[in-house]
Amino acid sequence: MKELATWKKVILGIVFVAGGMMLSLPANAASQGKVIVFHAGSLTVPFVEMEKIFESKHPGTDILREAGGSTKMARMISELNKPADIMASADYAVIDKGLIPAKATWNIRFATNQLVLCYTDRSRFASDINAQNWYDILSREGVVWGHSDPNLDPCGYRSLMVLQLAEKYYNKPGLYDLLIANRPKENVRPKSVELVSLLKTGNMDYAWEYLSVAVQHELKYVVLPDEINLGNYRHDDFYKEAKVKVTGKKPGTWMTRTGSSCTYGITLIKEAPNPEGALAFLEYVLSPDGGLKILKDMGQPPFIPCRVPTDGMKKMLPPSLQKLVEVKN
Amino acid sequence: MTGSGHEKKFDPFRSLTVFSTSVIFIFILLPLVEMVLQPSIDSLQETIRDKDVLRAIWLSVYASGLAALISFVFGTPFAFVLARRAFFGKRFVESVVDLPVMIPHPVVGIAILSLAGREHWLGQVMQGVGVRVMGSVTGIVAVLLFVGLPFYINAAKAGFEAVPERLEKVSRSLGASMTGTFLRITFPLAWRSMLAGMIMCTARAISEFGAIVIVAYHPMTAPVMIYERFTAYGMKYSQPVAVWLIFVSLVLFLFLRLVSLPQKSRS
Repeated sequence: MKELATWKKVILGIVFVAGGMMLSLPANAASQGKVIVFHAGSLTVPFVEMEKIFESKHPGTDILREAGGSTKMARMISELNKPADIMASADYAVIDKGLIPAKATWNIRFATNQLVLCYTDRSRFASDINAQNWYDILSREGVVWGHSDPNLDPCGYRSLMVLQLAEKYYNKPGLYDLLIANRPKENVRPKSVELVSLLKTGNMDYAWEYLSVAVQHELKYVVLPDEINLGNYRHDDFYKEAKVKVTGKKPGTWMTRTGSSCTYGITLIKEAPNPEGALAFLEYVLSPDGGLKILKDMGQPPFIPCRVPTDGMKKMLPPSLQKLVEVKN
Repeated sequence: MTGSGHEKKFDPFRSLTVFSTSVIFIFILLPLVEMVLQPSIDSLQETIRDKDVLRAIWLSVYASGLAALISFVFGTPFAFVLARRAFFGKRFVESVVDLPVMIPHPVVGIAILSLAGREHWLGQVMQGVGVRVMGSVTGIVAVLLFVGLPFYINAAKAGFEAVPERLEKVSRSLGASMTGTFLRITFPLAWRSMLAGMIMCTARAISEFGAIVIVAYHPMTAPVMIYERFTAYGMKYSQPVAVWLIFVSLVLFLFLRLVSLPQKSRS
């Protein structure tokens, strides 16, 4: 009889383990003190730094970061219902279009970026390239350059926008098509950060990246005029002239992305497993001497203070965040 | 313990085997059935008419098959040596063969890309003669070979080990050459294991994603396309591709398993 009891225990144990594996409730991940942050790949380096400092100040909290293309990360939340507390996107519009109203109520713009053309010492024509001749070099045969997938990563369609704006700004009709013809599909990658390793291993000569990525990965880069680098919102009217077709809601359908300055957005997810912890982290990220200072050092000029577009949205913010933002469109 | 004369006595081991069998069965099948049943017939039809999808599935099958074939060519003599000879450092060599199984997939991709880049002399040589790894079928096959090889080598080795060495010795003593002995004694007795190894190698290769996506995003293999469809369009459009990949693989492997069965069924 005793033996039987042992067997029962063993079976019971297996039932629990197997049952736990099959169900693996999202609630498991929400145990006290864990804050799950989904963020754009281009925010990885500053967020690692913020995580380190925040956790040293709040020993009970564990920031769990997950980085990826912003559109993909938003989809993980909206479609797979992956538990997350905070979502920080490289394009604030991704939050507006993908998460509000179902998964979030507000969207704070907290930092900016710009597109630069990255390269290394070993890139072909590395010693010649500058802000005047970059498009000549990119159209030369044998020069391997790439950008991330415009359908998956805002950095991808923004790279194409820069090329379109360049055609207008330098007044070189046909420049865009000429450049794209010299960029085989194989040079397109899901995420822009992946291109860095292609540059560093010498598989690629030039890659379009955010300034922040170039600074953080110690790459050489060509800074483009403000009129085309998508970094200065004063030129938003000109940026608007760039239009890139990206895939729509189903294969074979398309939608148009219109140029605008690179502006990061951050939000709290409605069903956040740990709203208190998340709010504490948000306060830190958005404070001028906390996260914003780190962003500044890492090549992502922050908005000080951060911005929301309307009074109505400001009122929706948790009180502790309201004092960290201003209303400015 | 499980002898058949004692049916009436309660045997915990038997109930445990029944129980664990059903748990494992459900654990494997539940998610797969769930996924296969999700897409509508319409979306499945629409998907299989999509040229990109067909191309991706074909590339997956073709590149994986090629990797298995290369494994067969290079792996067979190697597996034979491992099965027959004892030599200093054999344990080490065997561990090296198993390495690709445990290395994280992205690491495999990164390592292969680093070799192929201009920062590496090998990459310089390859680029010099026009071999491109990044974004090419060459790169995809290289990755698949890397992850699939251990499966073939280990299966073939086990097959060779099961062939009594005595038979080979008899053959040799009767004057047959090593090649003749292998072709007329060893191979006929071990080919099923070798085929099973190639199936495992192909299967492992078809499922590879992490390493491929680093080496080649375009041209897209089926797993990369499933990922791309998921990120760009969502689950609704990635699932039908997955279902077709599962279907094609299932038919392929079922066929190969049938071929490798002995005349009277093994079961």
